[in-house]
Amino acid sequence: MNESLIILSIVVVTALAFDFTNGFHDTGNAMATSIATGALTPKVAVTLSAVLNLVGAFLSTAVAATIAKGLVDANLVTLEIVFAGLVGGIAWNLMTWLLGIPSSSSHALIGGVIGAMLAAAGSSGVEWKGVVSNVVLPAMLSPLIAGLVATLGTYSVYRTTRGLEERRTERGFRIGQIGSASLVSLAHGTNDAQKTMGIIFLALISYGSVSADETLPPTWVIVACASAIALGTYLGGWRIIRTLGKGLVEIKSPQGMAAESSSAAIILLASHFGFSLSTTHVATGSILGSGLGKPGAQVRWNVALRMVTAWVVTLPAAALVGAVAYAATAGIGGLAGVLVVFAGLVAGSFAIWLRSRASVVSHDNVNDEWDDRPSSRRPAVAGAES
Amino acid sequence: MDGWLNVGALVKVLVFGIIAGAGLPALFALGVRTQAVGAGTIGGQHLAGDRRPLLTAVAYVCFALVTVAIVTGVLFVARDFIGHHTGWYILGAEAK
Repeated sequence: MNESLIILSIVVVTALAFDFTNGFHDTGNAMATSIATGALTPKVAVTLSAVLNLVGAFLSTAVAATIAKGLVDANLVTLEIVFAGLVGGIAWNLMTWLLGIPSSSSHALIGGVIGAMLAAAGSSGVEWKGVVSNVVLPAMLSPLIAGLVATLGTYSVYRTTRGLEERRTERGFRIGQIGSASLVSLAHGTNDAQKTMGIIFLALISYGSVSADETLPPTWVIVACASAIALGTYLGGWRIIRTLGKGLVEIKSPQGMAAESSSAAIILLASHFGFSLSTTHVATGSILGSGLGKPGAQVRWNVALRMVTAWVVTLPAAALVGAVAYAATAGIGGLAGVLVVFAGLVAGSFAIWLRSRASVVSHDNVNDEWDDRPSSRRPAVAGAES
Repeated sequence: MDGWLNVGALVKVLVFGIIAGAGLPALFALGVRTQAVGAGTIGGQHLAGDRRPLLTAVAYVCFALVTVAIVTGVLFVARDFIGHHTGWYILGAEAK
């Protein structure tokens, strides 16, 4: 086994690890509201979402062999930059997961790659205008659009069903909620698994085992990426689900349906009209909007503010990790560099996981009352009511 | 792209987002309401014998329209896959 094959294998494993974190980081985007309203039990919700992500991943066909297209100079992208970018993305995804903050996985990856590129080629390697117009501006606008749509939807739903007994409407809205949440999961699998497939495809091309003329990655790549994102989704980022479902707004099923409909509509429309945006930002904006649109409902703005802060920090923070990872990889050089950084990533991830054991959020306590002090979350009690 | 922001796409997302993302839940809610009223129940009182079949029919039309929209959404997500495997390029999918 020669050196470059080992490097390729490590890059592929790292890419699949990112895909996995992408899955569990984003489960809440689709399923948090259904879990919070009790439309689905936590286990059923993550299983449904995982299956739909799996199916969605297989639906993606033509995979662009580009990463961060229009954001960095494609001619300068090397395997080391991709690797360091993935390390930055994974590190930031795990950090925000520990804090229970829904932040964008795509932004984490983009940030990591930009940071690695800055460390490798300097500022000229980054297409700043593309970053602002395709990443920064949409990130600021998409939660607002989603929030507005969800506010209108929620308001009109409550307005229309005024005077009806909740007992009679609950079932209908639960069905509607599950339907729209499923659509969000499916779209997520198609869009996000495709990103990782693109990365692995790119790595294979640079290694020379796949021709750049191929339009489809090898089947094993599709299967591996689909499985990684589905497994991540199934394990469920319970901390993030809890923040989205219980932290921002106390959600009832009509709100949940309006929020997921807004998310599904905007995600699909944006991909149709070529407006790139993050599923996470859309989902969060929609859930906030469902709190604004319901007469008398309360939005926890302090939670929203923490989230927005994390969004702003995501790109630079992931970029910093990406840059450091690249500097270490290239500084040590060759296989040793990649191995050292990979070992660092594994150690860091393990440390974050250990830290998370101090206050476990699981399917047992994901729906507990929100006490507004994130540091004082009660540990899971076996058999606790959910 | 000339500008910093694709305003055209943004406006389209906003307009169609409101129509689909807020309109469909509203339509669904209308279905829930007409179904409840059509079955003779409102405000917790069951008014037996006061069923209104026309409203029930309206309810099912509402639910059917929402279902069509969701199916369209699924087909949209799967459009490249469908095109690639069957040759039917729908909803803006293109042969690659």
